[in-house]
Amino acid sequence: MKLLIVEDEDTLRDNIASYFTEEGNVCESCGTLDTAIEKLSGYNYDCILLDIGLPDGDGFTVLDYLRENNKNEAVLIISARNSLDDKINGLNVGADDYITKPFHLAELKARVAATYRRKTFNTNNKLIFNEIIINLPGRTVNINDTRIVLTRKEFDMLLYFIANKGKVISKNAIAEHMWGDEMDMHDNFDFIYTHIKNLRKKLIDAGCADYLKSVYGIGYKFSAE
Amino acid sequence: MKLSSHYNKASIIVSVLVLFAAAIIYYFAIHKIARNQLDSELSEEIGERIDYVNRYGKIPKKDFDESLTEYSKIPTADFPTRFFDTVYYNTREKTNENGRAIAALIKLNGENYKVIITESYASIDDLTQVITLITLVLTIILLFVLFITNKYVLKGLWRPFYHTLHELKTFNISVPGNIKTQTNKVDEFNELNAAVQLMSARVKKDYEHLKHFTENASHEMMTPLAVITAKLDTLIQDESLKPEHYDQINDIYSATGKLSRLNQSMLLLVKIENNLINDGESINLHSAIAQKLRQFQELLLARNITVAEDLQDKNIFASRSLIDVLLNNLFSNAIRHNIQNGKITITLTNDKLIFQNSGAAKPLDESLLFERFQKGQKSDGTGLGLTIVKNICALYNWQVSYTHTGLLHNFEIAF
Repeated sequence: MKLLIVEDEDTLRDNIASYFTEEGNVCESCGTLDTAIEKLSGYNYDCILLDIGLPDGDGFTVLDYLRENNKNEAVLIISARNSLDDKINGLNVGADDYITKPFHLAELKARVAATYRRKTFNTNNKLIFNEIIINLPGRTVNINDTRIVLTRKEFDMLLYFIANKGKVISKNAIAEHMWGDEMDMHDNFDFIYTHIKNLRKKLIDAGCADYLKSVYGIGYKFSAE
Repeated sequence: MKLSSHYNKASIIVSVLVLFAAAIIYYFAIHKIARNQLDSELSEEIGERIDYVNRYGKIPKKDFDESLTEYSKIPTADFPTRFFDTVYYNTREKTNENGRAIAALIKLNGENYKVIITESYASIDDLTQVITLITLVLTIILLFVLFITNKYVLKGLWRPFYHTLHELKTFNISVPGNIKTQTNKVDEFNELNAAVQLMSARVKKDYEHLKHFTENASHEMMTPLAVITAKLDTLIQDESLKPEHYDQINDIYSATGKLSRLNQSMLLLVKIENNLINDGESINLHSAIAQKLRQFQELLLARNITVAEDLQDKNIFASRSLIDVLLNNLFSNAIRHNIQNGKITITLTNDKLIFQNSGAAKPLDESLLFERFQKGQKSDGTGLGLTIVKNICALYNWQVSYTHTGLLHNFEIAF
């Protein structure tokens, strides 16, 4: 996947780029509207991460540019404003999704993966990770040929882990992804453990390798290593 | 007491005092004038008697005229003429009456006679009575007129003032538009209106600034928060970290999460309070609650909380995001302040939504409960959850209230 990150905050941009850089991904980044347009005029990308507040103008200009030039990049807006702001309301401006600051990198990655999947839906409606075969439109999971039955949350969690494969994901990030960030919970995320345990058991029982590892008290890692 | 009553009281007291004093002065003045008049009449009569005695050389007969005249011989000739008040017997009316008398010396044939002429005060008394009566009637009329004038004329004069007062009472800082005042003939009121207009405009402007400041400040904080979160997310990928580092990172995660929730809550409050949310749609509350219940399932299970629901179909017209926040906060609140193996009862009828949860045995202080940053001692929340609930309810004109019955905390929203 070829990504363009348009974000004016240098450190945030670098962190996003390093988090996304892995085998099969190419990340380019820039911090101004002008350079973003310049890059878009010369290259094609699969996905653009677009910050709305840029020093030399409004990120929406990039969306206008894409529409005018019939470009088909998936766009994920990064904004300090949330869904209640009129500006961003409805996504009818032409973006595919948006994420509100502050966000977890794991969440961003899962969103990008989902957006990218939606864009390329026709050719690829199956997500395969070694022996795990996920039918996305049917929301079913097979381990090799064995069908396993997952609850909605377990299914979402599996997708989330696969999108962030090889990364340590904090419990905070998992909780926010599964239960929403407005949900003002205890800082006690023990209940997540039960869920992950159930998911892991279902996968292993169907003959799947044990990919889910707990990382000290901080979180979990889904990894083939 | 109203200003007009104060004014009425003062003016009536002053009027009564002045009129009373005037009546006293008036009485004495008239009395004095009348007595002088009587005295000069008496002097004239004495003159007439002396003339008679000198001309005819004898004492006149008694019934000279209506006045009472007495003669008596006195040994001395040294008798100065004097006037004095006396009481005499009116033979016609057979009563004692007040009279004015003159005593003088008449000489006849070398003998000295004392003559006393007495005249009745009756005519003067009548005059005084009439005058007193007129004064009294005038006083009553004056007081009545004063009262009516104060009541109606002053009321009319003060009308612009009461209009301005009403405008001030209904002044709402978050409602756009300035205070409307009436122009009028009274300079003081015009001045007051001008001052009120100026003040309200300035207050509104300050409030506007503050609003924008809060919004901008909250938005500006989002990017640094995003940086911290991204740094932490990157940091935990480092395999050389030790377990104690993870503990520290966990704490930073918690604090960052709390800060960002706090920030979002403040932004939300600013938006609700400024009526910036107007994306209303028809929402089936029953299914919204059922959906939230599914979302919170794991949290309920973790504390083994049982949920009893009695939900009727109810459609409301509101912003979906706000209803989402409202239910989130009600659920979070009911779960967070619950006990292990506790229970939650959710009741939805056509006119109310009730969340009941077990929890601390003591009732909460309703006056503080919905205030900002009022939170339980053990709460890790932002302290804004119930304030947001209250404000969302206020936005849609719903009444939210808290009661404590048995061992349950009840939060009721009446639509």
